Amino acid sequence: MEMIFAGLLDSISPQSLMFLFVGVTIGVVVGAIPGINGPMAIALFIPVTYYMTPLTAIGFLVGLNKGAFFGGAVSAVLLRTPGTPEAAATSWDGYPLTQQGKGEKGLRMALYSSVAGDLLSTIVLIVIAAPLAAVALFMGPSEIFALISLALTVIAGIGTTSIGRGLAAAAFGITVGLIGTEPVTALPRLTFDVYQLGAGLSLIPVAIGLLAFSEILLQLENIKRQGAAAKCTHQFSKKFEDRFIGLKEFFANFKTLLRSSLIGIGVGAMPGLGAPVASFMSYDQAMKRSKHKEEFGKGRLEGIAASESANSSVVASSLIPLFVLGIPGNLAAAMLMGAFMIHGMQPGPLLFKENAQLMYGIYGSLVLASLFLLLVGRFGLRLFCRAVNIPSMVLYPIVIFTCLMGAYLGKSSMFDVGVMLTFGVLGYFMRKFDYSYVAFLIGFILAPEWERALQQVVIISENDPFMFFQRPVAMALMVLTLFVVVRTFWKSIQEGKKKRAAPAAANSQQ
Amino acid sequence: MSRVTRDALGYLFIIGFCILMLAWAIPTYTPAYPGYGAPPALVPNVAVSVMLVMAVVSIVRVLLAAFLNQPIPPEEREFPEDVDDDSGFTQVGRVNLVHLVSIMVPCALLVVAIDYVGYAIASFAFLMLLQFIIGSRRWLQSIIIAVVLVSVLYIIMRYGFGVPVPGPQLFE
Repeated sequence: MEMIFAGLLDSISPQSLMFLFVGVTIGVVVGAIPGINGPMAIALFIPVTYYMTPLTAIGFLVGLNKGAFFGGAVSAVLLRTPGTPEAAATSWDGYPLTQQGKGEKGLRMALYSSVAGDLLSTIVLIVIAAPLAAVALFMGPSEIFALISLALTVIAGIGTTSIGRGLAAAAFGITVGLIGTEPVTALPRLTFDVYQLGAGLSLIPVAIGLLAFSEILLQLENIKRQGAAAKCTHQFSKKFEDRFIGLKEFFANFKTLLRSSLIGIGVGAMPGLGAPVASFMSYDQAMKRSKHKEEFGKGRLEGIAASESANSSVVASSLIPLFVLGIPGNLAAAMLMGAFMIHGMQPGPLLFKENAQLMYGIYGSLVLASLFLLLVGRFGLRLFCRAVNIPSMVLYPIVIFTCLMGAYLGKSSMFDVGVMLTFGVLGYFMRKFDYSYVAFLIGFILAPEWERALQQVVIISENDPFMFFQRPVAMALMVLTLFVVVRTFWKSIQEGKKKRAAPAAANSQQ
Repeated sequence: MSRVTRDALGYLFIIGFCILMLAWAIPTYTPAYPGYGAPPALVPNVAVSVMLVMAVVSIVRVLLAAFLNQPIPPEEREFPEDVDDDSGFTQVGRVNLVHLVSIMVPCALLVVAIDYVGYAIASFAFLMLLQFIIGSRRWLQSIIIAVVLVSVLYIIMRYGFGVPVPGPQLFE
């Protein structure tokens, strides 16, 4: 109990509150800019957190992520250019509202839905993470190894249309993650005699390159190809009912909001699915269960409520596997895992035992971030709308230069800038060739822990090849991993057959 | 170049990379087995082998489809930019090498030049060049952005975080 109070008190210290507020505000602004999303913002700002206390740093990054999730709705509603896949469903009903002059109303619905979903999800995280972590403490290296293997196979499907390419990307991420000092011999491995690689590649330059720099390269290319980026030219109506959401209107959507938040929590807690799945699933359910199905896609508030509450509830619930098992469920959680590690902590069940006060502090920051989001969104809405119109000529040089200096900041090393540029180019090619950079990054982050667990298993069992047969949970997880791989490949083969059959049938008809 | 050919070349590149890793890089740059635990080369070998298997399976699939004259689904055959596909969030497309080089060269020049001419001059020149490449022809705006950005980041790094800016220090 003492720990809980101490942690909560830490979270309301002036420094924590200030950085949390700043994080949420920056998050909303950068999220509103088309093309910049939460994980990208975290990657860009992690170097800044080197100089903060762990609680302030994690609070700042969590606030940034929460803000960016709502910010994504701003460009989706005003421009119909969702910066992130999860905001796509928001644009379906948000943009028609903007065309009707009710864009502000749409944004307010998005804000309230985001805050409600996020708050509910945070409460669920607080209630279940610690008890689950207590159970997870009984897991040994065999179970951890098996669990990471399972996570890597599940995650291989994110961000690509081919499971084969996803697995290859995850395997490449693991290979790159193994560069550095080998854990048993303590000798350099795969360093190619480059002394800067002795301690391995830092997460910061790799993440900035893969997430932010490569994205900017692609966006610049798109702008050159398609011409100038879209601009918001719609005017907001001045009528009260077109600007604000009444209590009656809010509670009319309460059922949808609750259902969508629960979908988001469930999806977020499962590694590998992520916010887009939650958002589309909730929208689909809301439409199926609505009495006004025909109004969906034409500016129905219920559609915005479904999409936004679902994708925002993923933010906190995706921390459940991270806090309980030390496995990041999505990219934002992977970036937060990196931030924990930079501050000398290993996410997982031991976190509650070794850093209980910090964890309760983070809980406090999570709740406060939701409230700050409400505050910042409520009073800064019109201001944030301007962020969508920042000219690309101004924005991209700033982001590119920030990427370069952000990579330098971590170790004050130009070598890291070179690493960032290398991974920027790699990320560009991975995206162009449909290889999942998400799977790569998660593989890169999990590789050292995966190998450490394997080494522990082998050493403890004295090289027994049947070591996993003696651990039923590990055995079950390994079987599940195999099942996931076989099932995914089987599904992929079946889908491939169907796709091939379709053009063949069309040809024969002609 | 069609997408199928390009992807096949991609698989071949991966196969070559994996063979190089398995045959030379991993054996040369991995410590010897100390006699306990898993061999240091085990996990890298497994990871690279997974990449190799995936690439081989993919190229065999492409070759089989070509020999058996099987139809290829449009999403594996066409570039999204050619069919105006705005339904998804795929970033698959043609590689624009000219664009890539035009951005990467100034970045590489900055990394090299910063050690010789210092942070302020190199960064200012870099930002001016970058804005020109991106298409900005408003010189005053470009100068203001470059000066403000270089100054703000200098102040943040030097006085905010106490980190020396890259290259020779100006105001020591």
